[in-house]
Amino acid sequence: MEYDKILEDLLGRKEFLIVGKSIIRTDALDKALGRAKYTSDYIQPGTVVVKEVYSTHPHALIKRLDTSAALEIPGVLAVYTGADVPGENQIGYAMPDQPFLCDEKVHFIGDPIAIVCAEDEYAAQEARDAVVVEYDPLPANFTIDETLAKDAIHIHEGGNIALTSRIRKGDVEKGFSEAKVEVEGTYETPYQDHAYIEPDVAYAFPEGAGKVTVIGAMQSPFLVREKVAGVLGWNLNQVRVIQALTGGAFGGKDDTGPLVSAKAAMAAVKLGRPAALVYDRFEVTAYTPKRFPSRIHLRTGVDKDGMLTATKVDIKLDCGAYANRAPYWLWRQTVHATGPYEVPNVHVDGTAVYTNKVFGGSYRGFGNLAVHFAVDSHMDRLANELGMDPVELRLRNVLTVGKRTASNQLLDHSVGIEECIRGVAEASDWAEIRKPRRKGNKVRGVGIGTAHHGISTSRGAPDWSAASVILNEDGSFTYRTSICELGQGTPIGHAKIVAEIVGAKMEAFHIEIPDTDTMANARPTHGSRGLALGGTAAADAALKLREQMVNTAATLFECEKDRIDLRNSMASCKDDPSKKMAFKELAHEMYVRGANPAAYGFFTPPRRFFDPETGLGVSYPAYTFAATVCEVEVDLETGQVEILKIWPAMDVGKAIDPLLIDGQIHGAISHGIGIALMESIRLDAGEVINPNLTDYVIPSSMDTPEVAESILVEKPYRHSAFGAKGVGEPAIISIVPAISNAIYHATGVSFNTIPITAERLHAALRRGGQ
Amino acid sequence: MNLIPDVEVHRPKSLEEALKHMEAPGAKPLAGGTDLIIDLREGACEARNLVDLTKVKELDYIREFGGRIRIGAMTHHTDLVASDLIRTKAQVLSEAANLVGSIQIRNLGTVGGNICNASPGADTATPLLALGAEATISSSGGVRVIPLGEFFAGPKRTSLNPGELLTELSFPTPPAGSGGAFQKLGRRKGCTLSLINIAAYVELDGDTCSEVRVAVGACAPTPVRITDVEEMLKGKKIDEAVIGEVSSACYGLVQPSQRAHSRASEEYRREMSCVLMRRALTTALERARGNK
Ligand SMILES: Cc1cc2nc3c(=O)[nH]c(=O)nc-3n(C[C@H](O)[C@H](O)[C@H](O)COP(=O)(O)OP(=O)(O)OC[C@H]3O[C@@H](n4cnc5c(N)ncnc54)[C@H](O)[C@@H]3O)c2cc1C
Repeated sequence: MEYDKILEDLLGRKEFLIVGKSIIRTDALDKALGRAKYTSDYIQPGTVVVKEVYSTHPHALIKRLDTSAALEIPGVLAVYTGADVPGENQIGYAMPDQPFLCDEKVHFIGDPIAIVCAEDEYAAQEARDAVVVEYDPLPANFTIDETLAKDAIHIHEGGNIALTSRIRKGDVEKGFSEAKVEVEGTYETPYQDHAYIEPDVAYAFPEGAGKVTVIGAMQSPFLVREKVAGVLGWNLNQVRVIQALTGGAFGGKDDTGPLVSAKAAMAAVKLGRPAALVYDRFEVTAYTPKRFPSRIHLRTGVDKDGMLTATKVDIKLDCGAYANRAPYWLWRQTVHATGPYEVPNVHVDGTAVYTNKVFGGSYRGFGNLAVHFAVDSHMDRLANELGMDPVELRLRNVLTVGKRTASNQLLDHSVGIEECIRGVAEASDWAEIRKPRRKGNKVRGVGIGTAHHGISTSRGAPDWSAASVILNEDGSFTYRTSICELGQGTPIGHAKIVAEIVGAKMEAFHIEIPDTDTMANARPTHGSRGLALGGTAAADAALKLREQMVNTAATLFECEKDRIDLRNSMASCKDDPSKKMAFKELAHEMYVRGANPAAYGFFTPPRRFFDPETGLGVSYPAYTFAATVCEVEVDLETGQVEILKIWPAMDVGKAIDPLLIDGQIHGAISHGIGIALMESIRLDAGEVINPNLTDYVIPSSMDTPEVAESILVEKPYRHSAFGAKGVGEPAIISIVPAISNAIYHATGVSFNTIPITAERLHAALRRGGQ
Repeated sequence: MNLIPDVEVHRPKSLEEALKHMEAPGAKPLAGGTDLIIDLREGACEARNLVDLTKVKELDYIREFGGRIRIGAMTHHTDLVASDLIRTKAQVLSEAANLVGSIQIRNLGTVGGNICNASPGADTATPLLALGAEATISSSGGVRVIPLGEFFAGPKRTSLNPGELLTELSFPTPPAGSGGAFQKLGRRKGCTLSLINIAAYVELDGDTCSEVRVAVGACAPTPVRITDVEEMLKGKKIDEAVIGEVSSACYGLVQPSQRAHSRASEEYRREMSCVLMRRALTTALERARGNK
């Protein structure tokens, strides 16, 4: 079905009633008043306290593990090691390279070796410190170059390369021979912590002999179920997973959810008692997965008319200790390697390598933040060499309908990047503010960044979503999705889609929290798919329910089905205003007459594919596009950068709720400023040296700039509900290059590593910027 | 991070009672707890008895008396910021207090705690040094008063003896013709620790600088006055050009940390000491000129 046509073809309306309007979130008051329940709010007194014993070596064999002293501490109930794992002692996401509890070897400082269970926090802490681990230290590799060196010690059995990726499109050497100007550079991006406000947490309790329930912070309840069942050696239906409201995730809890939940569940099952594992900020910052660091080498050619002729890219992805999401991350970087520009000749090589450090994982922007930082920095340097305006150079090369991506995917609709670029250029009065402005020791500059980001999972992996909706006897609705509420509000977007289709008031909806015992698998809340796929499954369910409602109303009103109107929780006949009925009565009639009052929706987007030899194919069903203009003021004496104003634009397909989109855009601006100017996990010999929010510095509200009204371009995606595309991830990608390009414009210094701290900028200016 | 170790907490209602509790072994005062609780959890300090001062209301005041402005140790940063007396007579302190942490931290944190914590970058230390403050210290045995400069003994160390409490910080009421200013550089704008901070205070007699005190934070083991800079200015004609010259001398006068993982490099701190000194002195001069 072409879901973007639902409105006119099916609902018979010219105008939306709910979709496209900004509403007050149904959960706003609860959250503002502190009534909303997060995982820790469910934990009952008397719950067993679980803590982890972590490796203190970056790379070592475990010689001896002695838990006897720990077990003697009063209040200690058990200490479990790899030998105690009832199911599989393996929890790797994409590859089986990651033990659940390390029993032979550790691969980074923070690798879990054992879990201790105790009656209270103090006993658990004492026991954690009393577990004796004797190591046989091995040499460790901390950098990409160290790990790729010929004589480097192998971190995993197969060597230090986790995987590779490639694209071969056209003939790059021919492309470079046609170029007038070439630019080359290496761009590095650091580990970034998610810094979500709610530390990782899981609460598990056994229910009878063969069942356990886990309540936790996560992004994919069904992935958690799979991993918990794997560790326990149980069937999927023996594990019930409930995702409580989650206090921020940004990708991180997609990875930590299964790891933390499985430990709590194992303790609960083994002890036959409720058990909880709650991280503190140190554990979150030092030991949980981060944004993968990467090093991207880029060579780009452009002809005399400013048309890109060739791009050659080498991507080195630093996985850390385990591959985790690396196959998907690297592949995403590979197929997005040209940015939202058409390049006829493309050559990309990607290599993901292991190092003995905390491992990388899911993170908002998923590889594309690094790629667009590199590509958009390059675009400005090319424009400079050509003496062309950066906006003009972008407009000449930007993807439009009929053009092809780096992987040669033909874009036949839903491409709004040109409008985004034009929109922000116009709104910011680009030509005017690009004029040099200096006052005393302060100089201003403006820059532009762009983004494209594929919707759904990478590597052509199968993807689908599911949802259900129930019309209750009183006319109220229950909506069920396992797409998670992480602060972003996606389930509310789903409910709006359902409400629009069935003609209900928003107040009539209750959105249930994800529960694997009562819901079908909507798949993860990641990959910018929560709304585009999850919302479309919701639409599918809503359309089925609507049919039952329309049928019943048509029978009752003795009127044609296409003359039935459903709106504001009322059914009526368009031809006879006296024939109308509240949903309460309609629902009653449906139950009595045997019309199915519940519907289940399922959606799968068109299949994608790629040729592993060339990397060419259809990479994603659709792309969200974004552009950002940023104005900065640089203090030439201190190197401090003040972000004065941001102009954001995004092609969202269809804005289901402009206010929710603003929430994502504004949050992403802060988030992007963080990694552009200050955030970086720092390591010394594999140890995180800033494992707290004192020295892992993130932007405060005072670092947040003025933000112009968001420009929402709507180029609907044919196969998603009302044409909507994901916004949360794409929102951050263009912020970073916009900032670095603005600094380049202001000072003449083009940075190829971030964060651009005041100290670094000051040093660069000293070395001969301006 | 660990749990707070087992401690006994005492809740005295008067200074006298508090001083008695301070005689217990391993006694440590608890003011706002914004430094202490973190230190306890990180194992950075030990305490067996915590003497909670939050109910000792007699240590919570800002008043002018006997030609001096007197601030009780339990005065919160928020109260310093709100005080008209401090804002009009000692703006340098008002500015600094306003840049301590966030609203929540300023509501909880005290000036006494800030000084006793003795961080080299404590934000109220440099303005108080620039204002020529003295510290009043009490114990069951009596009271002593020392110049604030002698209070700091090293990073996170003071010259307090066991059983002693800091009770008051006081400085001569700045006269007409005086002005002060505070400059701070952090890693972000809001809720940020000082990579370096500088407070300057000048008194003018016509265009002669009759009195001057400058202090720098996070550039030595303790917050310190830069007397070499003061001597270059004192008794001389002062203007922007002179300030520019003397400020650049800071480069060689400060002694920033040389640790590898310090929050800023030694070089950057040296360079910034010159910039911030010039900016602080320039604003202080401007304010002194306007303070008729
Ligand atoms: C998020 C955050 C941000 C911060 N930002 C800043 C900042 O920008 N600038 C800054 O300077 N500081 C900052 N701090 C540090 C801290 O808030 C301040 O130093 C604050 O003033 C400490 O006061 P307190 O009342 O909380 O002291 P406490 O933590 O209660 O005590 C600190 C120390 O002083 C001792 N002590 C307290 N009162 C007395 C007394 N009367 N006599 C003897 N000893 C005493 C205590 O025993 C303890 O050793 C920040 C802290 C946090 C957590």
